[in-house]
Amino acid sequence: MGFRYDINKYPPKMMVTIPLIVLLVALAALGVNTLMTGMPVTPGMDFAGGTAVTVFTTDSEDQIAASFSGYPLLDVETGINNGKYLKFGPMEDAEFRALSAVITEKYPDAKIDQIGASFGATLQEQAVIALVFSFILMAIVVFLVFRTFVPSLAVIISAFSDIVIAAALMNVFSIPLSLGTTAALLMLIGYSVDSDILLTNRVLKRQGNLADKMAGAFDTGFIMTSTAIAAALAMWVVSLVGQVQIIHEISSVILFGLAADIFNTWVLNAGILRWYLEGREAK
Amino acid sequence: MKKEKKEQRIARRESETDYSSSRGPAVTTAGGSRGIDWRSLLKDWRVALVLVLVLVSVVAIFPHFENGKVETNLQYGLDLNEGAWIQLELQSEVVTFETTAKVSDFVDALSKDLDTDVELVGANQIEIRKALTDDQVRDAVAKAGGSVVSIQQGVSKTTADDIKRILENKINSLGTRDAKVNTLSGITGITRYIRIEMAGVDMNTAQEIVGKQGKFEIRIVTTGNASEHVLFGDQITSVGMPAQEPPGSNNWGVGFTLSETGATAFRESAVSFGAVSDPDNHHLVMQLDNATVYDAPLSTDLAAQLRGGQNVRQLFASTGTGQEGQDAATTLEIHLRAGALPVDVKVAGSGSVSAVLGDHFKLMSLLAALFAVITVGFVVYYRYREPSIVLPMVLTNLAEMVILLGIVRFIIQLDLATIAGLIAVLGTGIDQLIIITDEILHEGKVPSPNLYLKRLARALGIIVASAATVVVAMLPLVLMDLSTLRGFAIVTILGVLIGVLITRPAYGRVIMAVLSR
Repeated sequence: MGFRYDINKYPPKMMVTIPLIVLLVALAALGVNTLMTGMPVTPGMDFAGGTAVTVFTTDSEDQIAASFSGYPLLDVETGINNGKYLKFGPMEDAEFRALSAVITEKYPDAKIDQIGASFGATLQEQAVIALVFSFILMAIVVFLVFRTFVPSLAVIISAFSDIVIAAALMNVFSIPLSLGTTAALLMLIGYSVDSDILLTNRVLKRQGNLADKMAGAFDTGFIMTSTAIAAALAMWVVSLVGQVQIIHEISSVILFGLAADIFNTWVLNAGILRWYLEGREAK
Repeated sequence: MKKEKKEQRIARRESETDYSSSRGPAVTTAGGSRGIDWRSLLKDWRVALVLVLVLVSVVAIFPHFENGKVETNLQYGLDLNEGAWIQLELQSEVVTFETTAKVSDFVDALSKDLDTDVELVGANQIEIRKALTDDQVRDAVAKAGGSVVSIQQGVSKTTADDIKRILENKINSLGTRDAKVNTLSGITGITRYIRIEMAGVDMNTAQEIVGKQGKFEIRIVTTGNASEHVLFGDQITSVGMPAQEPPGSNNWGVGFTLSETGATAFRESAVSFGAVSDPDNHHLVMQLDNATVYDAPLSTDLAAQLRGGQNVRQLFASTGTGQEGQDAATTLEIHLRAGALPVDVKVAGSGSVSAVLGDHFKLMSLLAALFAVITVGFVVYYRYREPSIVLPMVLTNLAEMVILLGIVRFIIQLDLATIAGLIAVLGTGIDQLIIITDEILHEGKVPSPNLYLKRLARALGIIVASAATVVVAMLPLVLMDLSTLRGFAIVTILGVLIGVLITRPAYGRVIMAVLSR
């Protein structure tokens, strides 16, 4: 690694301002989506209700659309290897029974998943509660670990920004909010603070020159995030080829979050920390 | 070029003043290449514990060849195994009420007004066994002379247990290999959803057997399309096997026996509604969940018996001819035998996977995990360029996985989300090994054991902090039971705990031995 992370290269004000602008842009994007669809991230079938079918077939999208013309077919996605992912809107019980009979007859090897609209709404409500509680609990742990306000807040803000950016990117790449992606966001809440904790710990609890401590923390932290990215990338590639929708969505969201994490940890969090420490020295 | 940079970095590190190293020279035990002291390493309880646990886990997972395929003791959920799941929403409300009237009068009035079963399930709590909106409940309760304290969708614990038992009976008579019925209740103990998972069953069968209340009713046609209620399935005392009537005719059906009260009700209704005197205009109708399974005039023999004032207890519901008739007879038999669920149900969600796709997903999961281990290995190698560091790292990571699977095998089914969790645990497990390595490597080679322990403690401090955030972030999912995500959360938490408590301390010991060779 020929790159040396130099905290003194840019003024702290800039290191804090730019990520905050990015955060605001991402928040605004989520806001626009909320106005348009009622949720910050467009809910998928798990929450809005509907039926998803995974099948391997050489039938073209048009042929599939024709075979299911009598049903609320919303979308057919084609993966690699003839994998097809069919999405249907919510249906009444009887209609779904008829549909599942047609599917089992035409594609006996399909995977079918169906969620009713009201059950979906319950799941969505619980998912939102889980996300909020999870974030609050994480914040409490961070405060308990560092017991100083500004550094703890820096960790929490950059974790928050990771989640918000990942969510905004979900909209950009039209990845729906589902049970799987909720799990991924929760995982990000837990994991995105890893490198922040490392950074804060090294900077606050070790002695020495600030720039050196930051550079040392970067060497470790960057490789940490890289391994996590490597694992997520492996999942992403295999699930793309193998048409494993849920793992594909989970790994995409993790990748978004980890990419945002590199930026937020080493620009935003590091910037706030430096600002805080220099301000403290000045007193 | 590269070497120069590396030396610079080490020089930079040495320039740092580490409080813990100020008491002595930092590099002390680098006593040449003695090689790793395997014996004392294996005697270390942390290392030994990991090795023992890995062995135990391998035995627990028990990979073996069976019919040319690798089989294990791991439990697979319905993403990875052929089968179907159905989640039922129970059409019922539990209402806490207040009333100045006598409770039994209040309940009776409510039951009459709503034309449904209302059961008292607590001192001031009732279960209304009908799908109603909150407003409808409030109106009805007010009319019966009470007021509503709270309304919750679902049924009480007792009813939920009844439903579970009945569903299990139905599934058992289907003869499936492996089935689970889980009541999902919140902290209040009210069950709104029941999830049923059946291995080796297709979606249509699942819907026929557990996707319905299974309410059997006999009615008699009065005029035109109108009919009158005669009796429900609870008046049936025994049920025969699906049979052909007459034998060999390929005309299928199920015979059943009515209770004495049922038989009396049947005779009285048959006489009063004209099924006896004019059978052709007053058909006997049998319904399962309001769908007609049988519709025919009474036979002359039967009509004569009933007319003579004689109770008939043996009846036969014919369901049709051929395979279809036989299947319908089997379904009817299962519902008659196990009885109807106490409340109506609605399918809230369902799904099924074929054997082919299940195997495909299993293979893909395995590939994803292997691929992840390999890429992570490469990234770590790129960083340290030292097989004696990278190898223990990857092996520790694998040990973590094996132990995790060894535990998971007993408590949860693996599904796709859980596997994504496993792989993520792998990615972050390596992270923490990196923290340990870097903390210890902080000033080049590992120093005295004393200093080493201090550094390890500091590394473990960081690790415990970040592990704690993962655990608390996943905690809501464990407590809330968000469908399939509970398994995912449990796997993640277990993985983190195993890492922090068992494998990472052992890795610290191993890496010390490696570095102080």
